[in-house]
Amino acid sequence: MKAVIIGAGLGGLLSGAKLSKAGYDIEIFERLPFIGGRFANLDYKGFKLSTGALHMIPHGSRGPLAQLLREVGAQVKIIDSNPMAVIRTANGGDIAFHDFRKQLPLTKNVKLGTILLFSRKFKPKNNISFKDWILKYFDDEFLLKLADSFCGWALSLAAKDVPAREMLEIIDNMYKYKGSGVPVGGCGAVTETLADVISSNGGKIHTKSCVDKIILDKDRAKGVGVNGKTIDSDIVISDIGHFDTSRMYECKNDEYLGKIKDAKPSKGIKICLSSDERLIGHSGVFFTPYAQRINGINEVTNADPNLAPPGKHLVMSHQAVVSDNLNDEIALGLLDLKRLFPDKKYEVLLVQSYSNGWPVNRVSSGADTGNKTPIRNLYVVGDGAKGKGGIEVEGVALGVRNVMREIGV
Amino acid sequence: MKVSKKCVGCGQCAAYCPYDAITVFGRAEMNEKCVECGICVEYCPVCAISEDK
Repeated sequence: MKAVIIGAGLGGLLSGAKLSKAGYDIEIFERLPFIGGRFANLDYKGFKLSTGALHMIPHGSRGPLAQLLREVGAQVKIIDSNPMAVIRTANGGDIAFHDFRKQLPLTKNVKLGTILLFSRKFKPKNNISFKDWILKYFDDEFLLKLADSFCGWALSLAAKDVPAREMLEIIDNMYKYKGSGVPVGGCGAVTETLADVISSNGGKIHTKSCVDKIILDKDRAKGVGVNGKTIDSDIVISDIGHFDTSRMYECKNDEYLGKIKDAKPSKGIKICLSSDERLIGHSGVFFTPYAQRINGINEVTNADPNLAPPGKHLVMSHQAVVSDNLNDEIALGLLDLKRLFPDKKYEVLLVQSYSNGWPVNRVSSGADTGNKTPIRNLYVVGDGAKGKGGIEVEGVALGVRNVMREIGV
Repeated sequence: MKVSKKCVGCGQCAAYCPYDAITVFGRAEMNEKCVECGICVEYCPVCAISEDK
């Protein structure tokens, strides 16, 4: 059986590794000169920055991505963060993430405990946002700020733009899989190792190869057109999102087209800092709910010092983009960093912003339409088709698992 | 090099530029060190850079 994969991002590579291990003949076509998409390393001034995602795996060595990597034999070491996360409070002090309930008045604390314990029962059936859900049950300023900080960090969205039911799935997954970890060697180590697995299973990855069409035979895909050549295939998996995929063939399903057209990508800004001294001091997430724009920061060199030159630390902040003025948003982010680390000396290495055709997520969390298409043997994976409750790359892994289940691998 | 409105400011071109000739702040801009080598063109994920002057 032959499978063609469009795009060598994390979703495409995970699919390729899984299918090639199951004996499929795999060919991956990537239009850019490098593999890994927005989960690759970017060498810059001796630092290992990243093309997109931070060097983090949201649920560390216990999560869906780590599990899939183990299954396909991709040997990536993931260092689980300890502490998992720390929160900077209003008075400038820091508390461990699991102690956040202690910041609440007793009655709200008890209520939150009850809701988390019976979260299935409280899961809303309607589209109420996470913000409105918090207002409804708690009406607490600290919780609202923490919700924005968490949603901004994990999903690059404000709490008002995330459906509460998706957020409660994420909270369930946090209890199930626990907190984040840093892959040794950064994002690039994950995608490069997957490429090695695919090659050793006999699969092929072509860079600078742009798929221009998906060739149909009635309601089935029978191959793709690449650089003027036709490649036959039994299955086609696309890692470029539903919308761009639908433009590669004549899609006549209006209901599907309507649904995928409305999906909005999420925007974010990442600021990469170099410092001689530690700014944070641990490898967990540093949540900053009281900053103006920055949602969270991590210092990945506390887990893997080789991501920076000797003696240097690499710190990355993330913020959701909340207004249309990108320059203002970046300036506010830089100001936040100054206020958070007033006595520290650091250098801004690179400011990276993500939106539109190269976003944080092709489809904002909670708005995913699944992995199937109107074409029976054409599937979509990646950040445009994440699994339920999956944060970032964990959602990519869950989506790939859904497709593999459909295919029977 | 010419950078179009499609640029999102991801900084990939700056990292791949061998001449340290690109600064990024919301979007990419070439500075005086640019020698028009065109390497950035193919590394841009949104096809925002062209060789037209």
